[in-house]
Amino acid sequence: MDWFTRGSADDGAAAESTDAVGSADGLAPRFDGATKVRVANVGMRYEGHSGAVQALDGVDFVVRDGEFVCVVGPSGCGKTTLFRIIAGLETATTGGVFLDGEPVTGPGMDRGMVFQDYRLFPWRTVLGNVRFGLEQQSLSQSAADDRAMEMLDLVGLAETAEQYPRELSGGMQQRVGIARALAVDPSVLLMDEPFASVDAQTRELLHHELLRIWTETGKTVLFVTHDVDEAVALADRVVVLGGSPGRVRDVVEVALPRPRSRRDDGFVALERRLRGLIGDRGP
Amino acid sequence: MSSLSTEHPGATSGRGQREREEAGRRRLLPTDRRRLRRGLAGTVAFVAVWWLAALTQPTYLLPGPVEVATAFVGELTVRATYTVPGLGFVVALPRLVVKLVESLSHYVPGLVVGATLGIALGVATGWSERLSDALRPVVRVLRPVPPLAWIAFAIVWFGIGNTGATFIVAIGAFWVNYYNAESGVAGVPRDRLEVAASLGVDDDRRMIRKVVLPSAAPEILTGVRTSIGQCWMVVVAAELFGAPGVGYQIIQAAQNLSMDVSVAYMLVISAVFLVSDGLFRFVQASVLEWRG
Repeated sequence: MDWFTRGSADDGAAAESTDAVGSADGLAPRFDGATKVRVANVGMRYEGHSGAVQALDGVDFVVRDGEFVCVVGPSGCGKTTLFRIIAGLETATTGGVFLDGEPVTGPGMDRGMVFQDYRLFPWRTVLGNVRFGLEQQSLSQSAADDRAMEMLDLVGLAETAEQYPRELSGGMQQRVGIARALAVDPSVLLMDEPFASVDAQTRELLHHELLRIWTETGKTVLFVTHDVDEAVALADRVVVLGGSPGRVRDVVEVALPRPRSRRDDGFVALERRLRGLIGDRGP
Repeated sequence: MSSLSTEHPGATSGRGQREREEAGRRRLLPTDRRRLRRGLAGTVAFVAVWWLAALTQPTYLLPGPVEVATAFVGELTVRATYTVPGLGFVVALPRLVVKLVESLSHYVPGLVVGATLGIALGVATGWSERLSDALRPVVRVLRPVPPLAWIAFAIVWFGIGNTGATFIVAIGAFWVNYYNAESGVAGVPRDRLEVAASLGVDDDRRMIRKVVLPSAAPEILTGVRTSIGQCWMVVVAAELFGAPGVGYQIIQAAQNLSMDVSVAYMLVISAVFLVSDGLFRFVQASVLEWRG
């Protein structure tokens, strides 16, 4: 494909503080232990203007079926590069990524993607956006519409179906993005700092919504963020990335029951521990 | 059920906003009325100055508004014959109509062929870096050659006449559409291609059809609209060399010192341009309604 060549990583996410508190109907983490995604000794090396740059080195971890895993790290540590490698938009120079045992070689419907800048198709209505992926499959028009409306219902935006993206707020657009990604029933949902562009209040609501959608669908979620609070609020486990080249500093279990409160001792302790792992360059 | 169903979107609220917009369109706001009044005053002033200036000159140098209007009516009254191409039979119509149809028979095919080829090649070079690199030097050299200079080829290939004039109009339409299409396609954000790939679009043709062309549509349509105007100018010039039509009439009338007829036909071109541009803007607005 002509457009699909290795591009350079974009890792310039601005650090933001947030008061987000994750809360959802209390449910124990739902996974049966089977490995969904395996990141196997991934390294990434670029030829830059002034010589070679090692962006990632020896990144190794698994995501289990049904788990919510956050990848946390400061700007510049390569977490967006890692996201793109897992998504198949770039190819690691060493190691590889496996989904359900199969190697990842390019982007595909088995890995749904949600981005910070929403990336909705402006010329399509909300419903048109959500049914985009379904049109690639051999579904009838009405079956595709039904499934798309089902997804819009899931994210609570059924009444916006005939509107255009420009008429929606940022938070609503992102929910449409989530609905669009889920419509094709991916094996895993990949999210790259999806809530970094919305205000703190909306982010809090979106955390609640995302956790609700997660428990309802049982999807495996890999969520990349620079925000430690967000990671502790949402994740079952947190992969801490840091340094340059980016390496896995630790993988931390978040055993707190949901809904989680930011003021909770366990929450604060975990947060402190994660910040310590990230080091001085944290937000 | 979602707790966010009461969330208010930023600045707009779907149906409410649309109703307000439509209400605004139906009424003329005071500011619009004021601007129309100014436009009217300016036009009246211009015609008055023109009329006065024309009084000081003989008609063959500067015809006045009255002479032009009279000539216009005259062109509508005098009959000329038009041979319908292909079908062969002859009709008698007002000369103005005949000349307009003759010009349209150069303009429309030339515009359609030129725009289609320009868009097709522009999409191809916008999409394929290899093709773009390969063609760039050739394009750079050929592009600055004005459509009229291609008269030489028009004459030897088609002879002075209808086909030659159409050929020149096609060249006029080609370049604008080529550049706009190329720019539109090359400018499609990679982001969109990545999202589409993650939603199952895995071959180039589908990507172009479902993502690239809709993304590039605004720019491509701008190119078409520009070429609609440009081609009217080109068609008149192309006809000056001997193909029948409005352009040819303008020069013929001038050579016969009937400047009033010349100016009448100039205004005809202007009117036709405004109509075609207006029609296209309507089409463009409905295709691009998603832009708001």
